[in-house]
Amino acid sequence: MVIESPLLAFLIVAFAVAGSMLVGAKLLRVRAKHSSPLKPTTYECGESPAGPAWVRFHARYYVVALFFVVFDIEAAFLFPWALVVREAGTAGLVAVFSFVAVLMVGWLWAVKKGALRWQ
Amino acid sequence: MSAWLHLFTLELAVVAIALLVLLWDAFAPAAGRAVGWTTALLLGGVFAASFFVDGRGTVPHGVFVRDEWVVFHERLFLAAGILGVLGSIDWLATRTPKRQAEYYALLLFSLAGMMLLAGARDWILLVTCFELMSMPLYVLCAYGKQDGPASEPKLAAEAGLKLFITGAASSGLTLFGLALVVGMTGTTHVGGIGANPAPLTIVGMLFVLAGFGFKVGAVPFHMWVPDTYQGAPTPFVAFLSVAPKAAGLATLAIVLLGGWSADSSVWLPVLLVLAGASMVVGNLFALPQTDARRLLGFSGVAQIGYALLALGAMSRGGLAMTLFFVATYVFTNLGVFFVLHAAAEEGGGHSLARIAGLSRRSPWLGGALLVFLLSLAGIPFVAGFWAKLFVFMEAWNAGLVGLVVLGVALAVIGLYYYLTVARSTYMADGDRTTPVPTGFALRAAILVCLIFVVGLGLWPRPLVEAADRAAAGIVSGR
Amino acid sequence: MTVPSSHLLILAAILFSIGVAGFFLRRNVIVVLMCIELMLNAANLSFLAASRMHSLDTPGGRIDLQGPIFAIFVIVVAAVEAAVGLALVIALYRRKQTVSLDDVVDLKD
Repeated sequence: MVIESPLLAFLIVAFAVAGSMLVGAKLLRVRAKHSSPLKPTTYECGESPAGPAWVRFHARYYVVALFFVVFDIEAAFLFPWALVVREAGTAGLVAVFSFVAVLMVGWLWAVKKGALRWQ
Repeated sequence: MSAWLHLFTLELAVVAIALLVLLWDAFAPAAGRAVGWTTALLLGGVFAASFFVDGRGTVPHGVFVRDEWVVFHERLFLAAGILGVLGSIDWLATRTPKRQAEYYALLLFSLAGMMLLAGARDWILLVTCFELMSMPLYVLCAYGKQDGPASEPKLAAEAGLKLFITGAASSGLTLFGLALVVGMTGTTHVGGIGANPAPLTIVGMLFVLAGFGFKVGAVPFHMWVPDTYQGAPTPFVAFLSVAPKAAGLATLAIVLLGGWSADSSVWLPVLLVLAGASMVVGNLFALPQTDARRLLGFSGVAQIGYALLALGAMSRGGLAMTLFFVATYVFTNLGVFFVLHAAAEEGGGHSLARIAGLSRRSPWLGGALLVFLLSLAGIPFVAGFWAKLFVFMEAWNAGLVGLVVLGVALAVIGLYYYLTVARSTYMADGDRTTPVPTGFALRAAILVCLIFVVGLGLWPRPLVEAADRAAAGIVSGR
Repeated sequence: MTVPSSHLLILAAILFSIGVAGFFLRRNVIVVLMCIELMLNAANLSFLAASRMHSLDTPGGRIDLQGPIFAIFVIVVAAVEAAVGLALVIALYRRKQTVSLDDVVDLKD
């Protein structure tokens, strides 16, 4: 049988792999007694988990993440410029540096206000 | 490079002031009124400079055009910005003395976005400016999250979140619509919408219009308006209720009358329905309100309806009268909110009972409020009268007879609720008799608004002529 | 064998619909923010798909760069929205100890 559509082939393989894993796990699994107290734990062997999985992160991580995003986006603008830095010339250089300067003023203000103080 | 950089002199100056304020706050924090007054005076300098800087021209590829249209809007936004800063100085210095600089910096960034917006003729620049205008507003809306009377729930964070969620969703709508439009037409120039009148282009443009509808607060996208007006700090609401609305209407004019006028049969019915619905819903929902700011929120929705009506006239005159209407609305609404702020400041709360007997306590404030309310209602001879009259005349000339009749009828209803407010300031007895304490800056801001509202009522001609020259930048001919 | 650009546009439309549906149906503010991000990313995908379509259609290998550039600006909008939105959620949580829109009802008629 020759499968014409690559999409169909992709779907068939995807379902076959996923299905075989589920069926294989069902067939090969070790049947433990349901009365075992270890049964409902996260890991039936090894470490016993400490604390719930839904922990609350401190809001200060938010500020760190925010700083990351700011400079991440800055990079998104710098890379296209870096590719054409010769063609863009002085005008591009001035534009990019004023862009970075505005960001730097904001960053400086935030640091002076204690945004990165880890207290 | 510098062949066109001078076109952005005023905008760059505003950004420079914002950076200056931030650096000042970073290295030498000042808790008094100095930051606010410096910002206001520097902005005043920029406003004055707008009469001497002669930067008319076009950036390469027609991305940005600076003409009379832009000059008019720059001055309008700068005036709103100066008044917005003036009205906030006293409040900030007493309530949040340590966090003033961020308020001014954010307001200035928003202002720079608005000023650039008027000249943008490219979707990328237009959208970026629109977001530059909107984002600081979301933050400012929640600025006073600790502020307010002890007896009432603190509402600023909720108001900010509501404005943000509607605003962000409308950005998503606009951007997805733009993706379709730019994809179908193959150009990011606003004038290129008509290049490929495929169904997908039109669907995309309707998405874009819905997104802008959210921002100007036209029905059915108006839900956030009363909530935000009620919850956000009042001096900021004064600014929020005028400048972004003016910017949103300018964008609509650029997009519809400037870029897409060829297919007006597609969007004109939509625009007229929005205008009619805004007038009806705004006026009728304002009637039962007991919170002064909610009432003004719905009244703002109604006023947007009138402005859209003039836009729907699709003529240079109609656009000019939209501008005139918006300009008078800027001064009137700023004034109303400043007076409400003054009346509420000492005890908090903005229920209509709060301003009962205001004119006996402070005759000046009561008189100013009366003038502003008369202007909103459209009574001769204050600025709002000419604005409504001209809008209705232009719409009538364009053949929108039904909507004009509807608008006039609803204006009579508007008269009722505006005068109810005015009546309670004069007739009713309040629970206090001492004069309302107001700071010098707030008094100055109210006085400037009053001068403009009365002055334009007596002598509207210069503004009408300026608006007409400005409108020629978008709609040529008569 | 390449994926036609129209498929990408359809995928973008589906993503956008999921975002809009989630925006109106979900009550958790964080999930609503994620739905808004989904809408913006759908916009990005259509920008890129349309740009690819124009590039492939144009003989001579001229690449249409408007789409990618617009997409970068959309990414900025999305990032700023995330920053502002999460800050507002934190401010709201400190006041009301909730992130459910059903509990944010102090402002109403």
